[in-house]
Amino acid sequence: MRQPTLEATGRRGPVNWRADRAMLVNEARLLARNPGVVAWTVVLPIGASIVLSAFPAMRAPAKGLGGLSVFEAYQPILIFFTMTLLALQALPDVLTRYREMGVLKRLRTTPVSPALLLLAQLTLILSIALVCMVVMVVVPGLVGAGWPRNLAGFLLAYVLGAWALLGLGLVIASSFHNAKVAAGLGSFLFFVLQFLAGLWLPRPTMPSWLRHISDLTPSGAAVQSLTDATSGHWPSTLHLVVLVVWGAVTTRVAIRLFRWE
Amino acid sequence: MRTMAVIEVDSLRKVYADRAVVDGVTFSVEQGEIFGVLGPNGAGKTTMVECVGGLRERDGGTILVAGMDPADEGVAFRSSLGIQLQESRLPDKMRVEEALALYGSFYPRPRDPGELLERLGLREQRRTFFAKLSGGQKQRLSVALALVGNPQVAILDELTTGLDPVARREVWDLLEELRGTGVTLLLVSHFMEEAERLCDRVIVIDRGRIVAADTPEGLAANVQADQRMSFVPSEPFEIATLEALPDVHAVAVSGDRIVVTGTDNVASAVIIALHERGISVGRLRVDQPSLDDAFVALTRDDVTSPPADGPVIR
Repeated sequence: MRQPTLEATGRRGPVNWRADRAMLVNEARLLARNPGVVAWTVVLPIGASIVLSAFPAMRAPAKGLGGLSVFEAYQPILIFFTMTLLALQALPDVLTRYREMGVLKRLRTTPVSPALLLLAQLTLILSIALVCMVVMVVVPGLVGAGWPRNLAGFLLAYVLGAWALLGLGLVIASSFHNAKVAAGLGSFLFFVLQFLAGLWLPRPTMPSWLRHISDLTPSGAAVQSLTDATSGHWPSTLHLVVLVVWGAVTTRVAIRLFRWE
Repeated sequence: MRTMAVIEVDSLRKVYADRAVVDGVTFSVEQGEIFGVLGPNGAGKTTMVECVGGLRERDGGTILVAGMDPADEGVAFRSSLGIQLQESRLPDKMRVEEALALYGSFYPRPRDPGELLERLGLREQRRTFFAKLSGGQKQRLSVALALVGNPQVAILDELTTGLDPVARREVWDLLEELRGTGVTLLLVSHFMEEAERLCDRVIVIDRGRIVAADTPEGLAANVQADQRMSFVPSEPFEIATLEALPDVHAVAVSGDRIVVTGTDNVASAVIIALHERGISVGRLRVDQPSLDDAFVALTRDDVTSPPADGPVIR
């Protein structure tokens, strides 16, 4: 049975800011009443980055990390740890449950586009991730663990990395009917991506074949770009291109796969 | 003045896996009517109204709702049609008034949520979380959401299924109140009492086709069924005196009750005959052939009944 996609039902109406605002306020309120998933996602990495930055030993260049300190190697990993959790767990969780419960089908009976709901969710998730990122940069900075040396490069890497990971989350959110299955896949992808980002084996210590694979994944490319910017360089073209391709392809696929039911 | 058709469906067809679920359905609904779509489970009612509501793609035929084709799913179409879906929930921690405010914001000219809550008897629950509402309250909220956009047409699918009798009557009362407001209602049901009470006209769908279209009374009247009465007589009498009456077809005794079947006139004929003999009729019950009987007669499953001249297996 063919389901009309988001594309096919794209409503060409005037932009309805009233509905836009109501939707965002509503989703924010529901999130605040059900903070479970998001709270965990946020507390763990923030705590870890602050603890790491508090020990002087963690701020000194460490062996085998290519001149980086343990803190410098882990800050980008932790920043994208939060982003990946939010994108692959929190985002699909809400949207697949809405599909399961028939909220999306009910939305379809109204004049607004479901893009409004996706947009509200993306805005919320991205805002939370941004706040976390700022905390993870500012608190260690204030206690003397150092600031990103190329701020523009840092922000560029962050934005593109966020796009790639949120896009991946949207693919899951768009296509699954069963929230549990989506959560399972999200968790699996999360661990794979965290491994390739270097959570257990920092990228400088990876064998070169593994690092090449990591270079082509959204998490690996995002973490390396952020690391480059932290140490004062610009992210490499390869990594930026990888992130843009992941972002563009996943967004396109998510829109194509979108199902109401 | 001629009334205008708000919903026009012509030769609608919907096929799933080579099986026609809706097969050449044609009907039209006029402005302000409460129009019933009846039929057994799996008859294709929901699929049919979901095509009308622009939630399913049709495979053939034409549909116009307020002059618009549902397949385009235009903003104007969505604004003039409200749909109450079967089995559609809201997030557990959404309050009643929040849901109405949110869904109201989607429409150009929403109804006043306060007035709607009042009418639906949900004013007390306006701060209640969706998860804490009773089944009847959830269903009434669902009706409220279908109406909050001030639609010209509302489709209500199985809206009282699973409700207890009290909640069911509350929902019916609301719909009767709506009758005067000019909203056209397309009511899907497999519940005859509902149709008898609310609908101006009904169609009965079976296996994707319309098998009858009439007023509820018209459908019931067309069924060839005896009227049936039962009572407890004040003293014993000869059953043969009743059997002799021309309006009586059969008399049976069931415990202390006498059960008589016969023509439309059977009840008065029996009462008068007994009265003349000084016998009074207690705990009288008379059953009209109802829409239920009509429904059963119309949708009786011929497929499973044995072929008339086929071999008999012993």
